[in-house]
Amino acid sequence: MMKIKLFTVLGTLFLAVSCTPTKVVVPLQEGQWQIGVTQGRPQVNNSYLPVLGAYVAKGVSHTKTNYGGIQFSSLFLGAIQLEGGRVATLIPHDGFRPGISYSYGAQTFLSTRDYAFRIYPEAGVNAYLKQGPHILNASINTWVDPTWFMTDFGRGQLLAPSFSAGYRLRYKWFEAQVEYKVLNPTRNLQIPQNTIPNTFGLGGRGMYLGVALNF
Amino acid sequence: MFAGGDGTYDFKNEWLEPEYHVDETKIHLMDFQSDDDTIYSLYVGDIAQIATDTIILYLHGNAKSMDYFWETAGLFANLGGSHHFGFIMYDYRGFGRSTGRSTGEESMAADYNAVVSYLLSQGLTSDRLVVVGSSLGSLAAGPAAAGGSDISINKLVMETPQSTANVIMQNATGLSLPASMITSYKFDLAQNMEDYVGELLWMHGTEDDVAPVETAEAAMQKHQGSYYQEAVYDGAGHGLRWDIGDEEWSNVVLDFIRR
Repeated sequence: MMKIKLFTVLGTLFLAVSCTPTKVVVPLQEGQWQIGVTQGRPQVNNSYLPVLGAYVAKGVSHTKTNYGGIQFSSLFLGAIQLEGGRVATLIPHDGFRPGISYSYGAQTFLSTRDYAFRIYPEAGVNAYLKQGPHILNASINTWVDPTWFMTDFGRGQLLAPSFSAGYRLRYKWFEAQVEYKVLNPTRNLQIPQNTIPNTFGLGGRGMYLGVALNF
Repeated sequence: MFAGGDGTYDFKNEWLEPEYHVDETKIHLMDFQSDDDTIYSLYVGDIAQIATDTIILYLHGNAKSMDYFWETAGLFANLGGSHHFGFIMYDYRGFGRSTGRSTGEESMAADYNAVVSYLLSQGLTSDRLVVVGSSLGSLAAGPAAAGGSDISINKLVMETPQSTANVIMQNATGLSLPASMITSYKFDLAQNMEDYVGELLWMHGTEDDVAPVETAEAAMQKHQGSYYQEAVYDGAGHGLRWDIGDEEWSNVVLDFIRR
């Protein structure tokens, strides 16, 4: 029955905001560049709406990679959503012993309507197995909401965590990415007259696809 | 911003339960001009008695058209007895056959006042007006009650209202993002209720997953007007009337209107 586009737009933004995929799991080689496009596919009702973004990353050393990205779907709705950060190796992988990397950075939002601005620092840890061109990863990430107190009626929360697992094929100049993500499991996300399916009763869920070029 | 349906406007007794049948000679489909758009409205009652009857102005929820609320019209037309009150509802721009698009507070207010202007021209006075805002309708009812109505509102029923645009945004994202990130429609029923001086009845269910009861409560309890009443039902959802039954719903509304 609910046909108001406002709520559809909100649903899309939920996708755009919550479905930024993990950009880089295993740091690139020193001096290597990676340019990629991502399609977040978070689920609302029975649909997986495409949420488009792009990013660029550069290996600044053999253990550290910097990245920056933009979400086109947020831009379409009137918000400039940019992100930037660094991924660094903590424990290199060794055969079948998983490697560990960590990431930190921030997401920023700027409204083109009233220039409201929000910044959400984020941090995460990735465990990965790398065999040849194949990379399997399990990741945990959280956004920090330093303006949680600015929510209406005091309903904000400091952390917005997510969990994900994915597979990447990194073969020479090409990389393909697929990732499953559990979003904000500590909160009951709501879009009026829409359903956000969850995983085992936790948060929302989404599937990401990405392709990237390495050079 | 809003998208509606075609609006068949098939207002006949055959679609109503027998207890909600109306005198079909009292069914009036009308249209009004709202800025450059045409707003379609349904009046159930004797138009000549608008000058003397209590009139219920029903602001419907989010559906393709007021077709979906024909049963509600039948219920109101029989509230307190057959055609005891006059009843009117209308389709916002872009809903049903109403032309144009609802774009936010201004278009909603213009449509509301187009209908109210007609009622005024037929002799309605403030003391005989009852406004019922249901779900989406609360977004039009709030600003009207807060002073935006061409005729002041003294009795307001808010059924399963939303609260603020920011709350919808923040519940959808889990973050402190303001609604201005995606829309210029920044409705704020908490502020509206703070500014409304008349009588308020707030009805809600604790299991409402469309308009969460906690935030609706916070918004409605900002009201400092002449009278405040809340009817909150454990286990009821957004389809409040269906969950609690017509009898309970009617009794609460009728008691409020008559008090």
